[in-house]
Amino acid sequence: MGTPMPTPDKIDFSKLPIYKPEVECASRERIRAIQLAKLIQQVEYTYARVPWYREKMDAMGVSPSDIKTLDDVRLLPFTDKAALRETFPFGMFATSLDEIVELHSSSGTTGKPIVVGYTKDDMDVWSECIARLAQMAGVTASDRVQMAFGYGMFTGGFGLHYGIQRIGGTMIPAGAGNTERHIQMIEDYGTTVLIATPSYAMHICEVGERVGFDWASSTLQVGLFGGEPCPPGLKAEIESRMHITCTDNYGLTEVMGPGVSGECLAHRDQQHIAEDHFLWEVVDPDTGEPVPDGEMGELVLTPLDKKGIPVLRYRTHDLTRVVTDKCACGRTMARMQKVRSRCDDMLIIRGTNVFPSQVEDVISDIELLAPHYHIVVDNETGLDRMTVEVEIKPEAFSDSYEEMKGFSNEVRDKLRSVLLVTPVVKLVEPGGLTRTMGKAKHVDDLRK
Amino acid sequence: MSITQISVFVESKPGHMGRVLGAFADNAINVHGFSASDTGEYGIVRFVVDDTQRAEEVLKGMGAAVRKAKVLCVKLDDSVGQLQKAMEALAGAQLNISYCYSLASTYIAISVKDIPAAEEALRAAGMAVVDDDDLAGFMVGETM
Ligand SMILES: [Zn+2]
Ligand SMILES: [Zn+2]
Repeated sequence: MGTPMPTPDKIDFSKLPIYKPEVECASRERIRAIQLAKLIQQVEYTYARVPWYREKMDAMGVSPSDIKTLDDVRLLPFTDKAALRETFPFGMFATSLDEIVELHSSSGTTGKPIVVGYTKDDMDVWSECIARLAQMAGVTASDRVQMAFGYGMFTGGFGLHYGIQRIGGTMIPAGAGNTERHIQMIEDYGTTVLIATPSYAMHICEVGERVGFDWASSTLQVGLFGGEPCPPGLKAEIESRMHITCTDNYGLTEVMGPGVSGECLAHRDQQHIAEDHFLWEVVDPDTGEPVPDGEMGELVLTPLDKKGIPVLRYRTHDLTRVVTDKCACGRTMARMQKVRSRCDDMLIIRGTNVFPSQVEDVISDIELLAPHYHIVVDNETGLDRMTVEVEIKPEAFSDSYEEMKGFSNEVRDKLRSVLLVTPVVKLVEPGGLTRTMGKAKHVDDLRK
Repeated sequence: MSITQISVFVESKPGHMGRVLGAFADNAINVHGFSASDTGEYGIVRFVVDDTQRAEEVLKGMGAAVRKAKVLCVKLDDSVGQLQKAMEALAGAQLNISYCYSLASTYIAISVKDIPAAEEALRAAGMAVVDDDDLAGFMVGETM
């Protein structure tokens, strides 16, 4: 039977599984000790095996023996996506292809894809990370888990698949597409867990409602989401309409794939980082210097035991803050706030930092607007001007210019109170803004 | 007594008004009168058509933002000073006009808050106020 979304105060965390409590609930000192031992080894391994890093470190005058504390990670060079692209396909690999048991790639929106390779040990770490996050959502060996991601080169499909099998769950590898078949399989096999992108889960939900499928009495209990950011509003909607609990996880192909961190049910806007496998830093995106503890900055990740492609200090461009107090779920692994924006998305308007995700939040709270927006920034008049185009729902239309002006002023004031910048609000007719699946192009910066 | 007008939210971009008119033409909806104005970004286009119900269905089917509203319809004599006479009758009754536009022939549509009061003031001045059915009858063959 589908269970309605529990609120954290109603969850008995002692009844929820923890995959590897000896690590996930270890003291901070112990976690840091594990990290340091692994970091020292990993830097030696990387320096010895990957010329790209050896050249960089030699030029900087850094040798592996300089790494004596965790803070010494700052002596190391940063890595960004370009390094993986320039050395495509195998230039960053630390092992021969004989030791690689699986390749995955990410297409990226521009230019060459990047390709990553996993050794048997890497696959082991990866599936364990997935096992941990699945258990954070309560998934156990008795679950039947239906995959609605596409398999293939994308890391999401196989990554989650292996992790679920690691727990002993029953994988149902349905794959992407054919929504009605998915619903039929949930019914036929008594599926309890759905793995999907949040937007596809919403689609399954709607199609099910249309064909009269009763989500409240279905066997489905959990949604494991990934592949795209999951706005909190969408997640809440899916939870209440499908009567399931949904979590999402964070990861990047460049450092492993999904499973770098996963949401636990005690803090729905945070994710526990698998700290024994990833060293995190939060830096100022402009200077690369660390930000004060708990403050917002760019997440930088160093996988601590990756053998196929070791990566040092990967610049994710994702903005987050990290806290390290003990979680109500019992885990001590640090929690990162879910990533809502990337530093490359940030717009500086008259000296103020503005993120498209802030606009998205304001728009989605206004009943009479469709959840679409488009931002145009120009400086034709010499000053930065930000125009936000919003799409009215038919109910928002009144036969009076005064009322329409009043409505657009209301939208402008709500945006101003959050952005601290006064935008020009432009009302667009229903259906007037282009919809794109996935990564919508929300911003046009026309400044000269 | 009043007639029904249908208003549409239209962005001020080439072709947007044409889309609405095209839909009317495709569905054999006859436009008896209209008024279009805009703010530079968007406009409210108001129509009086021969089949408001159908027009509303067609526009909603296109996903358009649509509103129906009651407006007063006055038939003016085709002679000098008639429009002024109508305006004075309303001004004399302290009634404010939100907007006003002419339809085919000598009909005008007037938007006021208090339709019965406006109707009374106009009748007192000897002017003819009509409803949807009257208008439909008069308008056979009249089009814009
Ligand atoms: Zn960046
Ligand atoms: Zn937790």
